[in-house]
Amino acid sequence: MRPEEIMAVKKKTLTPVLFFGMIAQVIDVNKILEQALLFDFYGELLTEHQKEIYGQFIQEDLSLGEIAKEAGISRQGVHDLVRRCSQTLAGYEEKLHLVSRFMTVKEKVQRINELLEGYQEQDTSGVMLEIRRISDEIIEEL
Amino acid sequence: MAVKIRLRRMGQKKAPFYRIIVADSRSPRDGKFIDEIGTYDPNCDPSAIKVDEEAAKKWLANGAQPTETVSKIFKVAGIEK
Repeated sequence: MRPEEIMAVKKKTLTPVLFFGMIAQVIDVNKILEQALLFDFYGELLTEHQKEIYGQFIQEDLSLGEIAKEAGISRQGVHDLVRRCSQTLAGYEEKLHLVSRFMTVKEKVQRINELLEGYQEQDTSGVMLEIRRISDEIIEEL
Repeated sequence: MAVKIRLRRMGQKKAPFYRIIVADSRSPRDGKFIDEIGTYDPNCDPSAIKVDEEAAKKWLANGAQPTETVSKIFKVAGIEK
């Protein structure tokens, strides 16, 4: 099989799963997004060491034990560091609100794009295309 | 061989996107993985989870250990051992 055929088969076997009525679990899972965004926005404010360890925890999904072994520190040490980092990052958000602002603006721009969708094809003046370009830029620069 | 199912972050800054991968637990940081069994995109609402259910069940049955996060995602996706 050629690679593109394998990809096609792979895509077919992936079943999209949507969930309703599992709000508690969804919120839990959404914590991943929250943590990731906090790290993207404020990660640079952590020390190099914190960034390295905490990064492994949330970007690579390594366990405390695995991180401890790799870094040559105790599991308890990693645990404390992870907890302190998430507190620190949450503290920055409490004061600066960059993530919540990012989310609101992103939602609005996505809504603009949805509205554009219906008009883009009939439009010959290129105005819709221009609006689309600008809204893409806004998302990118956020 | 101890095998783990974990998330690996892909995607750009501020747009996290994850692959669900199967990898050897002994060298967690070498970037290699044995199999990719799905994706998780938390940017959509509700978040989009795609899992190759058959492969996931096969790996679980063979003793692959999912991380806590992956367990949660499997639970939401309705995949049990």
